[in-house]
Amino acid sequence: MNPNDLSTKSENTWCPGCPNHMILASVKQTISDLITKQNKTVHQRSGLTSTSEAVNQRSGLTKEDFAITTDIGCHAKIFDYLNLSGIYCLHGRALPTGIGMKLGNPNLKLLTFVGDGAMYAEGMEHFVHAFKYNTDMTLILHDNQSFSLTTGQPTPTTQTGYVSKASPLGTFDKPFNPLKLALAANATFIARVSARDMKHMQEVFTKAIQHKGFSFVEVIQDCLIFNLESNTKDSRMYKIKDNKDKSIAEKLTNEYDYNTKDGKIPMGIIYQSAEPTLEEKWPQLNKLIKSKSYWKNK
Amino acid sequence: MRLNILIGGKAGQGINKVSEIVSNTLGNFGYFTFNYRDYQSLIRGGHNFNVLSISEEQIESHETKMNIIVALDERTLKTHKQALKKDGQIITSEQFENEGRNLNITLAGALIKILGIPLTELENEIKSQFKKSEEAIISAKKGFDSQENKFSLKKLKNKISILSGSEAVAIGARNSGLDLYIAYPMTPATNAMHELAKNQIEDNLMAFQAESEIAAANMALGASFSGAKTMTGTSGGGFDLMGEALSLQGISEIPLTVYLASRPGPGTGVPTYTAQADLDIALRAGHGEFPRFVIAPGNATETIEKTSEALFLAEKFKTLSIILGDKHLAESEFSSNKKPAKTPKFKISRKIPGESITKAASYEVDTSGNSTESYSITEKNVNARVAKYEKSKQFINDNFGMIKIHGNKNSKNLIIGWGSTSGAIKDAIKNLDAKFLQVLYCKPLSNQIRKEMEKANNIILVEENVTGQLGRLLREKTGIKIENRLLKYNGRPFHSDELKKYIEEIL
Repeated sequence: MNPNDLSTKSENTWCPGCPNHMILASVKQTISDLITKQNKTVHQRSGLTSTSEAVNQRSGLTKEDFAITTDIGCHAKIFDYLNLSGIYCLHGRALPTGIGMKLGNPNLKLLTFVGDGAMYAEGMEHFVHAFKYNTDMTLILHDNQSFSLTTGQPTPTTQTGYVSKASPLGTFDKPFNPLKLALAANATFIARVSARDMKHMQEVFTKAIQHKGFSFVEVIQDCLIFNLESNTKDSRMYKIKDNKDKSIAEKLTNEYDYNTKDGKIPMGIIYQSAEPTLEEKWPQLNKLIKSKSYWKNK
Repeated sequence: MRLNILIGGKAGQGINKVSEIVSNTLGNFGYFTFNYRDYQSLIRGGHNFNVLSISEEQIESHETKMNIIVALDERTLKTHKQALKKDGQIITSEQFENEGRNLNITLAGALIKILGIPLTELENEIKSQFKKSEEAIISAKKGFDSQENKFSLKKLKNKISILSGSEAVAIGARNSGLDLYIAYPMTPATNAMHELAKNQIEDNLMAFQAESEIAAANMALGASFSGAKTMTGTSGGGFDLMGEALSLQGISEIPLTVYLASRPGPGTGVPTYTAQADLDIALRAGHGEFPRFVIAPGNATETIEKTSEALFLAEKFKTLSIILGDKHLAESEFSSNKKPAKTPKFKISRKIPGESITKAASYEVDTSGNSTESYSITEKNVNARVAKYEKSKQFINDNFGMIKIHGNKNSKNLIIGWGSTSGAIKDAIKNLDAKFLQVLYCKPLSNQIRKEMEKANNIILVEENVTGQLGRLLREKTGIKIENRLLKYNGRPFHSDELKKYIEEIL
C-alpha cells in the first residue's frame, strides 16, 4: 500500500518546518507498511494452505480497519490530513471518545492523537484511567511543552520560569513527568520518540500498534514559534533497548524531568508488559472480537 | 376505596422489603398500588419511610393521611403520628421482638391480615421470592395471626404489573436493542444503570462505568459513532459536566440518548429527594444552536415507551434525545394493567468506521468530513441543523404521543403539568370539573397545547420547581402567561389529596 493512499485534499496549515509534518509522514508510512505486511502474510498463508482456511482468516488488513481520534490543538490537524475514519474530538476528550469507539467496535485499530496541553491539563483524568482500563489502542502524544495554537501559554510539561503572555511572571511550577505518572498508573507500554527521527518513530509506532493493550508514545515535537528555550533536547537524546523490566523503567523515566537543561533523555520503548486488555476482560467485547463482528450485527 | 400505609424505620431495617412483599401480594390480588420512597443520603440509620397507596382503580400517587402506620423504630411514630387517620392503626416492630431477620415478613403478614387478604396470597408471594420459604412462611403466619381484619379486600380481576421508573428505563432501552449504557453513578439515575448491568450478558448488552460524566458522555458518542446503540444517564450535576459533549453531539450529529433523572439543586442540593427543576438545562445545555428532543414520561409505562422513542429519534434524526425524569419517577413503584405501546424498532444503517471511511468532528466540516472555516459551508451546515426541527416535529406528531389529555375532556378548567407530577394531578382531579393536559414532549412542543390553552377559562400550572419552568416555556411558545401556579419545591412530590385541595381553592 502506498502511504499517499492515506492523504486527503485538505490544505495543510501547520507552519513550514514544523515537526508535525514528520509525525504525519511517519504515521502514514507505519500504517501503510502494516497493511502491506499483513496482506502479504495472509496471501502467502493462503497459497500454502487450503483455501477455506484463507477465507476464514480475515482477508487482510485495510485502511478501513483503522480509526483515529484527535484532540484540539496543532497536533489535531492531523485529522484533516489522514484519510482514515475518526472523530475530531473536544479539547481534552480524544481519549474517552476513542475508548468509546473501541467499546462500540473492539475490532478497530485505534490511534488517538493528543497534545501535552490537551492531555495533561484538561484531559488528565482520562490519561490516568486509560492505563487502568488497558484498552487495546495507541495514544500518540505530541509534546511541545506549550499551548501553541492558542499562542504559547504554559502546559503541565512546560519548564519552570517560562515567560509567556499568560505567565509574564514566569511559570512558577515544576512540570509533570508524565512517563513516571504512566508507569505508576500501571501502563503496559510506554515509549518516547523524537519527531525528527522518522525511522525510529515508525519502528516504535509499529510496535505500539502491535502491542496488546494501551500503548502510550510520547513524541518530542519542538515548536518553532513558541517556547523555543525548550528546544535544546536533541543532543541529550540517546536510544535504549526495548525494556520490559519495571525497575529499569523507573530509572529511565527519572532521567529526564522536563525541566533541567542537562541530563540524558532516553528514547525508545521504556516499558512494556502484558496485562489483560479491556477487550479481553469484558466477555461482551471478547465475543465481538472472536466473531470479528460488532454490535451493529449482534 | 383508597388506603395509605406508611412503613418507616432506619435505613437497613428492610422497610422496602415490607412494601415490596405487600404490593406484590396486592398486585396478584388485583389491586393497584403506588409506592412512594422517602429516604435519606446515608447507608445505615436515619429515618426512611415508604407510603404504599392502594386502590381498586388506577392510582399514581400517595396521600397525606395514613390508614396504617408500620413503625420499625420510635422515630417513625414521633415523625408521622399526626398523619394517622382518626380510626387509623399502628403496628410497631416491638410487638414482634424475636423475629430477627424475618421481621419484615412478619410485618407483611400483619398488614395482609388487617387488609383482609387470605394468608395463602402472601404465602404464594413468599414462595416466589425465596428458595427456602418454610421459615419465612412461619414468620408471615405469626404476623398474620397477631392482627384482626379491619378491611375486607375482595379479589379483583385486574392483571397488575409493578415497575419503578428506573426499571422502566432499562426495559425501554432493552426493547430497542440497546448495546451500551455508559454512565457514572449519580442518584437518582444510578438505578437505571444497576438494572441494565444486572443481566447484561444474557441481555447481550454492556453497562460500563466511566471515570466521570465527561468521560461517559464522550465515550457514549464514540461508541455510537462506531455503530452501537448507546445511552448514558445522570442527574443534574453530571448533566452539567456532559454539557460540552452534548454540544459535540449537535455538530457531529452522532446519535446520542441521555437519561436525565433530576433531583433538587443547585449544587448537591437535597440529593435523595425530587424536583422538576432541570427542564431548563435539558432544553438549553450545550453551547451553540442545535436540535434536540426533550421527552418527559410521567409513569413507568410511559417511561418504557418514551425511552424507546428517544433512542429511535436520536438515530433517525442523528440528534440528541433527552429522557427527562426525576427521583419521584425513578424510584417510585407504579402499578399498571396496561401494556406499553409497540416498540418502534430500528437498525443502524448509517456509515460506520470499520466498514468505510467515516468522519465526524467538533468543527464545521465540508463534504469530505474534514474541518472547514468556509462561511458558505458554515451557513449551510447551520441551516441543515435547524431544518431538523420542523422535519422531526412533523414526524413525532404523526407517530408518537406528544401530549395526553386526562379527566373531563369538555371542562373549561385546564391543569397543565408534566413528568412525575402527572400522577398526583391525574388522581387529584378525579372528581373535579377539570381536565389535565400532560406535556410529554417538552421539545418539540405540540401545537395542540396552544389550542387547549385558548379554549380554557381557567389554566392552572402544576410543577415541582420555583420558577414554573414549563410555564415559562409555554409563554415563550404561545405568548400566554399562566397566572395560577401551584409550585412545590421542598424536595417532596405532591400528594394527590394535598393537590386536590389547592386546585379546589383556585376553581
